[in-house]
Amino acid sequence: MNNLPRHSQTVVLIAFAIYALAPVYLIFLASMRSEADLFSGPLSVPWPINVDNYRRVWQESGFSVFFLNSLKISTSVTVLVVLCAPLAGFAFAKMQFKGREPLFALFLAGLVVPAPSIIVALYGNLQVLGMIDSHIGVILPQAALLMPFSVFLMRTVMQDVPDELIEASLMDGATFFETFIRVVVPVVRPGLMSLILIVFLFSWQEYLLPLVVLQTESLKPITVGAASLQGRYGVDYGGIAAAGLIAFAPLVVLFLIMQRSFVRGISAGAVK
Amino acid sequence: MPTRSAYLFLLPALVLYVAFVAIPIMQIIGFSLFDWDNGIRGDFVGMDNFARLGGDRVFWSALAHNAIWVVLTLAFPLMAGLLLAAILAERGNNTRRWLAAIYFIPRTIPLVVAGIIWGWIYNPLFGLLNYILEGIGLGFLAGAWLAEPGSALLSLNIVGAWTFFGFCVVIFLAAIQSIDPSLYEAAEIDGAEWWRKFRDITVPLLKNSTLFLGLYAAIEAMRFFDLIWVTTQGGPGYATEVLTTHIYKTFFLVGDFGYAAVLSVVLLIIVLSLSSISFWLLKSK
Repeated sequence: MNNLPRHSQTVVLIAFAIYALAPVYLIFLASMRSEADLFSGPLSVPWPINVDNYRRVWQESGFSVFFLNSLKISTSVTVLVVLCAPLAGFAFAKMQFKGREPLFALFLAGLVVPAPSIIVALYGNLQVLGMIDSHIGVILPQAALLMPFSVFLMRTVMQDVPDELIEASLMDGATFFETFIRVVVPVVRPGLMSLILIVFLFSWQEYLLPLVVLQTESLKPITVGAASLQGRYGVDYGGIAAAGLIAFAPLVVLFLIMQRSFVRGISAGAVK
Repeated sequence: MPTRSAYLFLLPALVLYVAFVAIPIMQIIGFSLFDWDNGIRGDFVGMDNFARLGGDRVFWSALAHNAIWVVLTLAFPLMAGLLLAAILAERGNNTRRWLAAIYFIPRTIPLVVAGIIWGWIYNPLFGLLNYILEGIGLGFLAGAWLAEPGSALLSLNIVGAWTFFGFCVVIFLAAIQSIDPSLYEAAEIDGAEWWRKFRDITVPLLKNSTLFLGLYAAIEAMRFFDLIWVTTQGGPGYATEVLTTHIYKTFFLVGDFGYAAVLSVVLLIIVLSLSSISFWLLKSK
């Protein structure tokens, strides 16, 4: 008797797994379909298997360049955030200073600021700074927009570092900075890993900033590249599918390998 | 002494944040108070630009679409996430971990790509959805999902839900696992079946996570842009116009600085109020 709800629950679990995976499977099939095979139905297994779409997109449509641009932008954003956010998170979690509450509130306010709401001013500022159509013009604002979340996450992580550990190091005559590097960083390494992964993911997914800041084709990241490919050759479905897969496959693989780190970072802020 | 090193610790993050987020916010507020002509600032006009909101029908329908998006997100992916997490919590470690990971995969896919994939699924000529509907004899339901005003917003929300429900599962799972298991054991001894445990223990104890996710969903529903922009660009007509796409068009396509700034201020006020409410609510618990 008790088995009936359990079975129907299993059906629900599987139905949602299909919902999650079917679109991914579909684009995978489409990416290996040749043009002649296009109208044999979206679910038919492509035959002969065709990797020509990947080759064409990678070599001719510039996706090797888009991919490297994404890699460069996301890595730079991640490095920048990792250099800034843990220090600030540590200060908010473990140090006493004047103006701590208002400064933290200032960061908290930024937690929800959407890029589209500041783009009107940001665009003009980047023009004045000569950063339009350059990677630095994407990297700096993106790191800044991700900063509130990162500082918030790092503060949560740093709060778990035992006070005694920090005090002992300070007693030994170490400065705050030495204590941070030698004592705190090794303890919070898992939290730093979560930060790195999440910032990298968000940065890779970003679309609006590079869309408006970068005009030169050879500077664009993969999200902008994939979207413009869709606009340019509205009929090259195999190519678009291959491009889409190239755009998200690294993220999915990274997530599946580093699942625990991701989940820890995502739930750290929410559960507390 | 500790005060000075604290400021030095904060400095790099603060400089970046102030330069590229805080100052632009101040500028936007400033812009909204002036008359603009082709990108050149004119006279100070106070709140006059804001008066245009009243007669801007696109603005009001965009706002309505954002609100509908919130309601749909609360009704579907959030509830689905809660139910799935409650079911998964009772399964073995491996099942739980792998299914949660599978549900989360869509969240790792850039919304631009999600828009492209689902654009195909909804394609009236060769899309999967119509293909399946025809295959099971429901061909009369087939349609041009994203091209018809009646179905476009709802169809896109299914895409949004696709990227969001796994996130809800992960958050709810973490919260359920922090519930004291003896509560469930006591209920089982009393002979409570699954549904009653879910209703009487899980749901009430997850109030905070639900509140957090609900407000998070509401804020995201105000912020999102990519998905609409790569699929419908707010169309057909204005059927999927949202606040962010309205800002984008007003600024980059029309070149109306003052009014784009007004719309940005409105968006900022809405998201900042929502986040203040959520901090206040979650703190008072």
